[in-house]
Formats: sequence, C-alpha cells, structure tokens
Amino acid sequence: MTREVVVIGGGVNGLVAAAYLAKAGVPVLVLEARDTPGGLVASEEMAGCDPGWLLPDIAKHLGLGAAGLELVVPEASVFSLLEDGGSLTLWTDPARTAQEIARFSHEDARRWPSFADSLARFAGVLEAVYAVTPPRIPNTRTRDLTTLLGLARRLRRLGKRDMIEFLRVAPMSVAEWLDDWFADDALKGALGAGGITRILQGPRSAGTAFVLLHHHVGRPAGAVRAAHLVKGGPGALARALVQVAQGFGAEIRTSAPVREIVVRDGRAIGVALETGEHVAARRVVSSADPRRTLCGLVPPACLDPEFVRAVHNVRFRGAVAVVRLILGELPRFTARADDGALRGAITIAPSLDYLERAYDDAKYGGVSRHPFLEARIPTLLDPGLAPPGRHLMTVQVQYAPYHLRNGAWDAAARERLADTVVAALAQHAPNLRTAVLERHVVAPPDLEERFSLTEGHPYHGEMTLDQIFFMRPVAGYARYRTPIKGLFLCGAGAHPGGGLPGASGRNAAREMLLKESRR
Amino acid sequence: MAQTWDAIIIGGGHNGLVTAAYLARAGKRVLVLERRYRVGGAAVSEEIYPGFKFSVFSYVVSLLRPEIIRDLDLPRHGLEILPLESTITPMDNGDYLSSWGDPDKTRREIYRHSPRDAEAMVEFGRLMHYMAQAVKPILGMIPPDPTSLSPRDLLGLLRLGRHFRSLGPQKLHALYKLMTMSSADYLDEWYETDVLKATKSASGIIGTFLGPRSPGTAYVLLHHYMGEIDGSFRAWGFAKGGTGAISEAIAGAARRFGAEIRTDAPVTRVLLKRGRALGVVLENGDELRARTVVSSLDPRRTFLEFVGEAALPDDFLADIHRYKFRGSSGKVNLALDELPNFTCLPGVGPHLRGAISISPSIDYLERAYDDAKYGEFSRRPYMDVIIPSMIDPHMAPPGKHVMSIFVQYAPYNVTGGWTDERREAFGDAVVDTLSHYAPNLKRAILHRQVITPADIERLTGLSEGNIFQGELALHQLFFLRPAPHWAKYRTPIRRLYQCGACTHPGGGIMGASGRLAALQILRDVGGTGG
Repeated sequence: MTREVVVIGGGVNGLVAAAYLAKAGVPVLVLEARDTPGGLVASEEMAGCDPGWLLPDIAKHLGLGAAGLELVVPEASVFSLLEDGGSLTLWTDPARTAQEIARFSHEDARRWPSFADSLARFAGVLEAVYAVTPPRIPNTRTRDLTTLLGLARRLRRLGKRDMIEFLRVAPMSVAEWLDDWFADDALKGALGAGGITRILQGPRSAGTAFVLLHHHVGRPAGAVRAAHLVKGGPGALARALVQVAQGFGAEIRTSAPVREIVVRDGRAIGVALETGEHVAARRVVSSADPRRTLCGLVPPACLDPEFVRAVHNVRFRGAVAVVRLILGELPRFTARADDGALRGAITIAPSLDYLERAYDDAKYGGVSRHPFLEARIPTLLDPGLAPPGRHLMTVQVQYAPYHLRNGAWDAAARERLADTVVAALAQHAPNLRTAVLERHVVAPPDLEERFSLTEGHPYHGEMTLDQIFFMRPVAGYARYRTPIKGLFLCGAGAHPGGGLPGASGRNAAREMLLKESRR
Repeated sequence: MAQTWDAIIIGGGHNGLVTAAYLARAGKRVLVLERRYRVGGAAVSEEIYPGFKFSVFSYVVSLLRPEIIRDLDLPRHGLEILPLESTITPMDNGDYLSSWGDPDKTRREIYRHSPRDAEAMVEFGRLMHYMAQAVKPILGMIPPDPTSLSPRDLLGLLRLGRHFRSLGPQKLHALYKLMTMSSADYLDEWYETDVLKATKSASGIIGTFLGPRSPGTAYVLLHHYMGEIDGSFRAWGFAKGGTGAISEAIAGAARRFGAEIRTDAPVTRVLLKRGRALGVVLENGDELRARTVVSSLDPRRTFLEFVGEAALPDDFLADIHRYKFRGSSGKVNLALDELPNFTCLPGVGPHLRGAISISPSIDYLERAYDDAKYGEFSRRPYMDVIIPSMIDPHMAPPGKHVMSIFVQYAPYNVTGGWTDERREAFGDAVVDTLSHYAPNLKRAILHRQVITPADIERLTGLSEGNIFQGELALHQLFFLRPAPHWAKYRTPIRRLYQCGACTHPGGGIMGASGRLAALQILRDVGGTGG
C-alpha cells in the first residue's frame, strides 16, 4: 500500500509534524531509527539539556497537557558562579533580579527593567518571523509580499525608535550591545552566555546579539534567560507527543532506520529501510538534518551539484559536549544560594572576557581550558530520575568543538574534559569532587553517532545570521521543500531552526497541508 | 568681517573639499576652514624627514568615485593615479603568494599553490565583480529612512527593493551572505589555500575591531572588486606625489569653482540660534556667518565639541554617545637607505612596486586580533606595506626609499595608554616582524615615524584614531550611519550638515560622502547638483 506521508525521524520536530498532519486528517507513518521515539529528548543522558522542551503554543495547540505534558519554569533562570566565589542569580521575577543586580551596580539595576523589556519586545518580532514560511526572496509572489508586509507591520508596531534599534542590534556583537547597557562584568557574562549558545563564535563576534534575542523566543514571558523544563524528565515529552500523534491517527514505527529516500523521475516515491523493506509514500518529510537528508539519504545522482555544494557549505560545527555526573549528595556552593537558585542553570560565565577566552581555544581547534558551563540538576525537579539520595547533574560544556585540530575525541580527551568540568565546579562547590560517583561524557561525535546529528549539532546547523530565515537551510529552499518533488524538510535545519523545539515541524506540516504542496 | 557665506565647511579633509567643490560648482559662495597648516586631513603628503615625502596616514586610493574625478576634472588639477597592481604575501615556509594585474599570471601563480583554487578564482572573481557592480548604486544613493512614511523615503525604499530584485536570487543571496558572514567562512566556501584566504580576508578587518573569523568582515572583500581589474586581489592605486596630491587636486578644483580655503583656521564651535546654525566661531574669536554650516568631522567632535549637548535631543545624543569608533590601526613610515630584500623573493623586482601583505595565515590574523581584544597591540601584527618611492621616484632622494606600513591591530584603548615607550615598543614589533621576512630592513632604516591611534586622533582629530570616522560595521552602515533618522547628511540642528566618512557610504578615499552631502544640501537649499 502507498502511504500518504512518511516522516523520517521520530524526534520532537518529526512527531510534531506528524501530529499536525494527522490532526488535519492526513494518514502519517513515522519511522524512527532508535527503539524509542523522541530523539534527543527521550534519551537518559540528555536529561536536563537543551533542547529538552517544547514551544508552549504548540503544546497547547496539540493538547499535550491532556496527554500529561507539564512544562515548568524554575523560579531561578541563571545561577552564575563568579571568580571571587560569589554568585549572581537571574530570577524569573524581574523585581527580584533587579534587587540582586543592585548588589553589584545600582545603575545596572536601574536599567534592568527597560533592558528586559526591549529583549522581550525584540523577541516578539522574531516570534512573528518564526511563525511564517520564509518568503521567496527576491522572486516574491503575492503570497510572499503579503508575508513581508505583515512582518513589516509587526516591526513598525515597535515604534520608530525600537524598530531601528532592532535592526541595529541584530547584527551587533552581544558584547557591544551589553556594553551599551551595563557596566558590571558578572551581569554581562551571565547575559552574554546567551549570545553564544551552540555557535562557534565568541561574545565579541558580530551577530551574537541576534543569538541572544533568538533564545528568548517562546521562553517564559518577561523573564531573561529563563527556560521551560519538562516535568517527569526525559521521555515524558516524547511519550506525550507519541500519545497525541497516535490519538490523531498517526502510526509510529521504532527500530526502523531509513537507508535511502527512493526517488523516481525527480520525485520521492517512498523510503527504503536498512532491512531492505520498501515503504511507498506519496510524500516524504525528513526531520533529519539537511546534510544527512540531502547528501546521505537521497541518491547523489538525483541532485544538481550546485545545490549539493550549498548543502555542504551549511555550517554545523558542533561546539557543545555534555558531561553527566551522578552524585552521592547535592553540591554545596560556597556562594550564598537558597535552593531555588540551584533549580536554574548553574552557570560558569563570570565575564565576557572569560567567554571570549574560552572561544579563543576553540578558534584554534582546541577544547576550552576554562569552558563556559551550564549545569542542571534534574533530580531537584524529578527525584525519580536517580535512586534515593542520589542526584543527577548534567553539564553542557562549551567550547568542545567537533573538529579537534590536534588529536581526536578519544577516551583520554573525554576524561580530560570530565576532569576540567569537575575541577571548574569544585572550585565553587568543594564537596563535588567526593560527591561524584559516575561521570559520562557525550562529545559532539557521540551525538553524531547516536542521534545522527551532523557534526553533533542538535540545531542541525548554527543559528547565525547567514543561516536563518530565507537562507535556512540553503538559499532558495527555505520553504520546507527540496529540489525533489514530494520531499520535504521538517527538522531544526529548516526555518526557524534550533532552540525552538517543534517550530520547524509545525511550520513544515502547515506548508504541506497547502493545496500547492499536494501536487 | 560682516559678509555671510552660503556655506562654511569645517575641516579640509578630502570629503570636506569635495563638498566645497560641488557647492562652489553650483554657484554657492563657500569657505573651507582647516585647522592645520595644510588641507587634506588624513590624506596628506608631508616631508617628515629631509628629502623623504610620506603619505603620512592614508596611503592608497581605492574607490575615489569616477564621477567625482570627472565632475571636478581632477586630472587637470594634478591628480595622477599610478597602478598598484601586485600583492605578495611572504609565507613562513619561505615560499610566497603573489597576485598581479594580469589575471592569467595570477591564476598561474595560484595554480602553483592549488589547482582547485586557481579554478575557483575565475568563478569567484566573476561573482564578486558582478556583486561589486550591484553595490555601487547603493554607494551612490542617499539612504532612505525605513521608519519614515514620506513619499521620498518610500520611493527610495521601493527603488532599493527593485534594485535588489533586479539582482536575481544568485547574486542577492551571495550579497546577503557577504553582509552577514565572516571573511574566513565565506572564503572557506571557495578556497583551500590558507595564505590565499588570509591575504584576501585581511581587507575585511581593516579599520574594524574584528578578526577575520568574526561575521561582518566578509563584505569588504567586495571593495577589492569595485575597480575594473577583474580577478586581481586589489584594483588599488597610488597617487603621484602621495595621497596629499589627491587633496590638493580637489582643493584646486574647489578654488577654481570659487571656493575660499583657509588653513590654520581652527573652529571652536558652531554658532547657534534657536536650533539653527548661524555660522562658526574660530579659536581666535572671529565669528563667521553662513546660511549653511557643514562639518566634515566625526559626529563625536561635531556634536559633543562644536554644538554642545544642551542643544541636542536626548535620543540623538544617546546614539552619538554609543556610536563606535574603536580605532584599531596604526602606521609606521620608514625612510630607507636601501630597498628591503625579501628572503622569499630576493633582489629588486616588480613585486616591490606593489603591496607586500604580512598575512601568512588566518590564524596569524586571529592571533594578532587576540592581543588587541585584551588591550595589547599585536606582537605579530597584520601589515600592508608599500614602497611609494618605487612607484613615484620623487618621494625619496635618488637611490633612497620610503616605506609605508599600515599596521593592525593597535587598539586605541591599549592597557596603560599610549606612552612614548609603548609607541616605540609598537614600532619595534612592526620592524622586527617585517625583518623576519626582509632581514636587511633594520640596517636600512634612516628614520622611523610611528603613528598610534592616539597620534592619529591628536594629529588629524579623528576620534579614537578610527580611520573611517567610526567603524564600518553592519550596525553602523547605510541608514544607521552615523545615527538612525540622521543618515541623510542633515542633523537635528537646522542648516547644519555632515559630509565626513561618518556618513553613508564612508570609509577610504572615496569622496562619496562629500558628494552626496553636497547633493542633499543643494536639494534642500536650492541650486543644481549636476
């Protein structure tokens, strides 16, 4: 039998796309390579890591609440550890944050509310941009012009001054932008960290202000650098998505790795599984990243070399490793911290210079000797994730570049990374050294191998100004379609991209439901 | 002196002079006031050591707009541009990379390093050339204000939209990438030879406080293709008599059109009355009246020094305060007893008539930048070296030579400030690094002039010594240059205009800012721009 739509990959975006299509009455089959759906979010070792959530709008729209999904926002966003042994906490409550900042600089505290406000307003504009299918630029048709006019109107709603400010800030370096606002290094470090999330650039590189804005889209309103966490730990989100998708009639097959997308006369007619089984389909949509999909699953002969070159030029450059610690007791930080603070992202980003120096190492192909760390203790939210009395701590380490200039990601390199991380944290929580019972390192190559992420990048390509909107994944193909008829993309490699779990899947599904896409 | 001028121009740099010439040409009575004893600003030739003439600051001419050369008939006033066609980059392995005016010769040379790159060079050159053509109209356009709903602005935006559309997808997407990518990443998409990528990307960091791996540095690659010499690294030239000759030529044209130019006439402030400029006050107390006052200085000096914060709206002031200068380059001028002898290309050859680029690798440039990031000058800096006396013998006594070394990075805000010791240490770093490639250099030096950003600020008045009157970064271009809503050469002070490189399109000896400012003024006050 011929399926209407086959979805390659049962990660968040794949499941979201499937759910939206099924909800609209399209028969869908999801093929997931691993034995459980959910991709990254379903995996133990990624507990408490980004991306491990879902855009609240999508959760609401698909009715995931009823399926048991609970998104929680910890009262603390960032618990930033400082070189002098002190700490700076950004709370979701702006007033409380302002109080905290006042301990460092009254002037900065005074400016905080209006900074938080601009951040929110600018993120609001991006949110509107992220909700649309990128227009064809420059060959606009009526539908594209309508989209552009809509976005222009949304931009104008900021008012003259902020509209220009938005255009001015996006291409800036996050360091310059923060220097315009604040004086205190600790504050600028904690904020600047948000400008380098998962890119191989430092806070002084142009375009990093955009990255900071990008990571405020869909996040808890009014808060800065806040996050949504999924109650129930890894798998809870996947389970809810599966339940909802199936509820809408989608079929989900696990342990069904796709070997090839079958193309005839420039049209996708189905997929071939590793087992050799052939699944016929009218349309195929891939949630795998663009390079894997177009340079791996699609037979080479089917694509124009120019296009293939463009896909090869997409920058992935995974830069983040995860170190997972199993603890015999909670870390006790020398910095004054009530428990609330520990529920936020425990961060080592004491200053912009610290972050920049961490980048300097990676720039020359090395792992940061003093990396930017973002740790979470998911067992504070879900004690069930570890045996009684034990705790789980997942630490995202940047920069840990996929491409090492000297040496490879062998066992020794992994051990060194774990040592670096434990040492860095132990400086602020001396009991950590003895508290660590187990250490597991997930380096970018591991992400590539286990989750089929090219160069170990969960965002399916860096979120930089040249790789977003009508340029994502490649210029001319930002509308979820590919040069191959009936083959679509719905992964983070497509607009609006990584850091917005579900958005690409939702947009792709909407696009596929249009009449013009049925042909 | 009670007479009222039609226009007084503050500052006799090349942009100020271009504005003066265009206004005078349109029949206006124009007065140029220059602080120093000679016109030119940063485009001056001076004999700082007996018998040796130097282009003290700016040293090559790249993009002087053809229409200006035509309109002002500059050749008639002594302008002669001599081609500066080749670039050699000495490599650390003793080899070198060279490029020549003749694309085929360049292609053969690159083939020596990488057949693949030699092939890519053809297509790359073609694309860049097309895009340079595509950008030119924008450089010659008064930036529309995207927030304004006035017919003129909307029309401007529409014209801009049409222009982009006319480029077609391939060129537009390539242009967008150039605007947003780092030169290192952009070149990685085309080339594999590190030294080639480094030498090309070096142009992207000039005048900025960014490294070649930082986004926003790719765009400047285009400037090298604005000239018509397709396929060569640079379509740059050297003015006979040094860059001062360019200023003199423009001044000559301005005078011929009837403009008066006064040197040693430092302005201390702009005369204001109810938000309107009435004229200027000189250091000696003289008050000079004019219907229009035009400043060719950077916004910090124009508004914070000459106008005063009290007379300006808060939003505008905030924008001027955060306008970024961050001077990052210095200059070393050498009087030489003999020509440098480069180990990689021994003896005297055509390569000494071109530029010598010290940019052996992308990492080399990045490390130079790292020093600057943390408040030091680069111990091993990027250098763009030319030997003017090889192109124009009159620059030095027979058998002797002058060498011009553009150096980056030399941060204005160096830790501890620019003391005399630090200046000399900086000079030593430059000479030592260059001697590494041309061992005879040290003993050939008769005289050495070291210019730090602090010196540039002191001597030319350019804030923080930024050679472009403010960084040419994406967030300070087009309708954002120098401040939102005020990118059309007008200012919040009625009848006060700006015409310096701090306005669109800015940067380099282009004269485009000066010309566009003049056109805007004539549009506003009446008269023909031609």
